[in-house]
Amino acid sequence: MNTDRDDFGIAVRSAFLDSGNKQKFSLFILILISIILIFIETIETKPINFFRSFIKDTIYHGSAVIATPGKALGNINNFFSKQINLYKNYDLLKKENEKLKSSFNKSKFLELENMQLRALINEQILPDKNLASARVMLDKQSPYLNSFILNMGSNKNIKNGMAVLNGTNFIGRIVNVNFFSSRVLLVSDFNSKIPVLIEPSASHAILSGHGKKKPSLEYLPENHKVQNGDKVYTSGKGGIFTPGMSIGEVIIEDNLIKVLLFSDLDQITFVNIKLENKNR
Amino acid sequence: MIFAKEETRFKILNLIPLLILFYIAFNGNSTISFKFITINIQYILVYYWTLRKPETLGYGFIFLAGVVNDVIFGLPLGINALTLLVIASVATYVRLVTVRITLINDWISFVPALILANFAYFVSLYFSNYNIDYYLLFLSSLFTFIFYPILWVIFSLIQQLMKS
Repeated sequence: MNTDRDDFGIAVRSAFLDSGNKQKFSLFILILISIILIFIETIETKPINFFRSFIKDTIYHGSAVIATPGKALGNINNFFSKQINLYKNYDLLKKENEKLKSSFNKSKFLELENMQLRALINEQILPDKNLASARVMLDKQSPYLNSFILNMGSNKNIKNGMAVLNGTNFIGRIVNVNFFSSRVLLVSDFNSKIPVLIEPSASHAILSGHGKKKPSLEYLPENHKVQNGDKVYTSGKGGIFTPGMSIGEVIIEDNLIKVLLFSDLDQITFVNIKLENKNR
Repeated sequence: MIFAKEETRFKILNLIPLLILFYIAFNGNSTISFKFITINIQYILVYYWTLRKPETLGYGFIFLAGVVNDVIFGLPLGINALTLLVIASVATYVRLVTVRITLINDWISFVPALILANFAYFVSLYFSNYNIDYYLLFLSSLFTFIFYPILWVIFSLIQQLMKS
């Protein structure tokens, strides 16, 4: 019995502490360094942030270089699939264009009416010039985390919490800023919770990501009248984001209220960043 | 001349596991997803090569690959490094206590490696206030275990090439 325990102890000691087999470091030391690194991640000081930014920027740029051949292959594949679907897409777009033409005049009128009403209540409307355009440098979707890296960081005044748009559609927020890069947490990520407003019922809810393409609506009022096709906008509650940024439309699947995003998160190359969190 | 050529070929073949490890770390391809099937090939790679030919994957390189993974996926630094090192630790222990290595032995001993690595992953994410879908993590572990023999065969072929 004692011999068994001794053998186990010797094996464990040998596995963790010895750096045999041409190994330069022992496992114990490296595990300790990993734990210290995890602990250091919770500390926010200037020298540590500087070091962290340097490491992350270097790895992002290295990864962008390594991913180039794969990206090129993906582009070729996209090109051919687009060519194959050309006629089908043409018909679809033709129909959609006719629909849009008919609703165009109506929306122009509503826009004008909206501006007059906003002027009436003295709401300050800032022009959209406080937008910065950035390119998606890395788009590594993992089953657990949905985010991507932009080629702009603190060098272009990007800050944590800023809203990120694809065209005019809200797609996520900045969660990590380095010198020359920043990370966007997409609305589909498990850690993303965005206060939203559903129109026309004017119900408030939280848009919650689940790692899938369609995030769901949570904390809706009990007797809500949310239906398929309702539009979802940022509510601006808590002063986190500008209110009224379009996100998607409601789609009810298996009794779950989900949101079909206006932007296809897999097809984004350029984004706009709202340089100020608040519009007030 | 022939000897030098052989030596270069041997060195290149020996670098294959390390190159794969860093390629998938930098490319963010540590997990392959197809519908609901998710396989963590990095876990299998680290486990197999630490068990069979530890000199091809240094612990230091495993640590670095983990850090690269963390940065690419936006996780707090050190989490993936820790889980990969846990996998390497179990593999090292198994190598020390077993004499005959077979697919079945490897496969069974891969279970505690996965359990311990996921436990380390869970604890470090919990303390870092990070949420992930734990059901997906469970599925990923299950499919990583199921697909182990396929990658085992591929890696064994690479190892045969190294020997020849």
